[in-house]
Amino acid sequence: MLSRNWRHLCRRYSQAVNFRTTENSPAQHNDKQEGLFYTINPDLCKQLFAHGGFPRSFMKQTKTFTETAIMVRQPALDLLACIKASDMSQPVIRYVLYGEKGTGKSITLAHLLHYAHEEGFLIVHVPWVSEWLRRVPRHKEMSNSQTHEGFVDLPLDAAAWLIHFKSQNQTLLKSGELKTSKQYVWSKRETTEAGSPLAALVEHGISRVKYACDVVDALIDEIKILSNAKQCKTFVAIDGFNSFFYPLTRLNTPTKRKVKPEEVTLTTSFMKITTNDWNNGAVVVTADQLAFPDDHQESYLPRYLLYKKGFEHLDPFVPIEVGRYSDKEFISCVNYYRDRLWLRGPPEIEAELKFTSASNPYRFMEQCAPL
Amino acid sequence: MSLFIRNYKPNSLATVYNVKIWRLHSTAAESTQKKDENEEEFRVLDILKKKDRIQRKVTRRADIQPDRSDRMAPDQNWGNVWPGPKTFHPSSVPLPLRQGYVPKGQAPPGKKANAELMKVPNFLHLTPPVIKSQCEAIKQYCTEWPNLLNSQEAIEKHYPVEIITSDYCHASPSIRNPLARIVTLRVKLSTLKLDKHARDKFIRLVGDRYDSSTDLVTITADRCPARIQNTDYVNYLLTACFHEAWNVEEWEKDKTEDDMEYYDWNNNASKKSLVNWHLQKKGESKTLTDDEYKSFDVSEIQHADGYKNAVSDWMNSGESEETVKKYAEAVRKLFGLPEKKVV
Repeated sequence: MLSRNWRHLCRRYSQAVNFRTTENSPAQHNDKQEGLFYTINPDLCKQLFAHGGFPRSFMKQTKTFTETAIMVRQPALDLLACIKASDMSQPVIRYVLYGEKGTGKSITLAHLLHYAHEEGFLIVHVPWVSEWLRRVPRHKEMSNSQTHEGFVDLPLDAAAWLIHFKSQNQTLLKSGELKTSKQYVWSKRETTEAGSPLAALVEHGISRVKYACDVVDALIDEIKILSNAKQCKTFVAIDGFNSFFYPLTRLNTPTKRKVKPEEVTLTTSFMKITTNDWNNGAVVVTADQLAFPDDHQESYLPRYLLYKKGFEHLDPFVPIEVGRYSDKEFISCVNYYRDRLWLRGPPEIEAELKFTSASNPYRFMEQCAPL
Repeated sequence: MSLFIRNYKPNSLATVYNVKIWRLHSTAAESTQKKDENEEEFRVLDILKKKDRIQRKVTRRADIQPDRSDRMAPDQNWGNVWPGPKTFHPSSVPLPLRQGYVPKGQAPPGKKANAELMKVPNFLHLTPPVIKSQCEAIKQYCTEWPNLLNSQEAIEKHYPVEIITSDYCHASPSIRNPLARIVTLRVKLSTLKLDKHARDKFIRLVGDRYDSSTDLVTITADRCPARIQNTDYVNYLLTACFHEAWNVEEWEKDKTEDDMEYYDWNNNASKKSLVNWHLQKKGESKTLTDDEYKSFDVSEIQHADGYKNAVSDWMNSGESEETVKKYAEAVRKLFGLPEKKVV
């Protein structure tokens, strides 16, 4: 038993220098760590990504590997440099992550979320927009909006998002420094007073699901006001943002009318926070082919995925491509997979795998699974 | 018995054979004939019957002349021998031609009685000296080429309209070919002197007859039975399109940004958002009217020109990795962000 552990340790030590970095704080990451893996503290991971944030296959992998390790890659470093260099007193800059399927847009976003959390940003994170608009379980809770004529509410989804928001921003909300600017009247007996903490607003949305969508809308407004007043800095991350611009959702009203994305109250709220009429924040969205049905996945470039409407909404934005693995990253990933025993066999298969997976991170992971 | 018939020849040898055959069949006679055998000469076994093979005399007819191609003078006038197109004839062509299926280890079949050579069309009537002499002969009917039309550019300049027709020549009972009626007119659009609106309308009118990469308008007519009619028709079409292009109809004022044939950055939402961003950056919050947006001078915004070009390029020349990259660079300059690291 001892000798086995010893061997294990030796192996790990001999390889550790190659692919792992001990620098676990994203704010300190720079070009030196490029291509190396860093691990996220499991508690923090649970706090940030418990309600979504990682793709399902990656979640499964973290469970298998018993750790959440993320590779420090060029697009994330690039974005970090941009966020650090940008002037916070100016209108927010929108960043659009784009790239082929499975190249790691969502993982890059997760890396940035970690950074935002460490830097004390207020995080407004939507794990996957299509979850609201395109995924229709048997009983999707839908109702006509009481406050917005002709709009559709998704109260359960909104409440779930509020829980996500609450867990991601525990520390900031607990401190109670963030306060609402005006009074919100929900019904005869329910009101949220001006100057009550933001946590109360969120709590109200979670407990009174009927008003969840309106709470989200109010929350977004409040966040913009608070950011403008420099009381907090806000980091907006939306994965699969292009889903908001596909001509139709898969939702139907009780009268069997097809719902357009712009008729959903959640859409209007998140459109508001992605305009650049506020400051002291950063907006990172991804344009993903997977957010669309199969017939509209011909190109991975942003204009095609965002449509004219989305392009005009975000313009001017900074497009950042998330590409396939470079040689260095690929070797590092191979070493990591070998360390986790995800990949075994002679060293010759590496070149072959590189060829068959075309250095696509997701495909490489999939192809290693049976090896 | 068959052996007997085959070897039967009316001479002395046959009798010997006869005797031998008889002898084979009777064992009693063998001893009586033994003496005769000793007297005979030693016979050689001749299986291939070389001795018996008669040399057949090849008789050559005396009245057949040697081949004409062998008697041709090397300095003869070939044009006289082969004046026009005709099927291959071996005796008229003094060339050692071979053509056809090649059996293994052999040469291809020679030119005589060779169907392969007769099947293919030949150009033996079009040798360079013959062509030369024929050109000389028709030169007297030609006029001189204008001096000033000495280059392709000059020709295009003075004769911008190009009419393309095809003539067909064949030896069927009718000398007419229906394809000869087709007339194609080709003209460079830049030579038509159109203004911006007329050019756009002209391109819309001719549709796919305009090729933007070569700037050529190609109009083809084949609806009339005679070539002259078709020529008149293509000329009419060009004239009609040209004059229609200059007309401005009432409904053309309803043209919106979606109908534009190209992306004009000044009229689009991109400029609006840039101006809004700029105003916000300066801390002014005022709403402008559409015309104010269009006439807003972006030169006061730093790096706005590069941004403008990048967006226009992206929209006009289509989305590609190249244009997106260019846009990214322009936007980073606009926002004052660090450049992307080139790995």
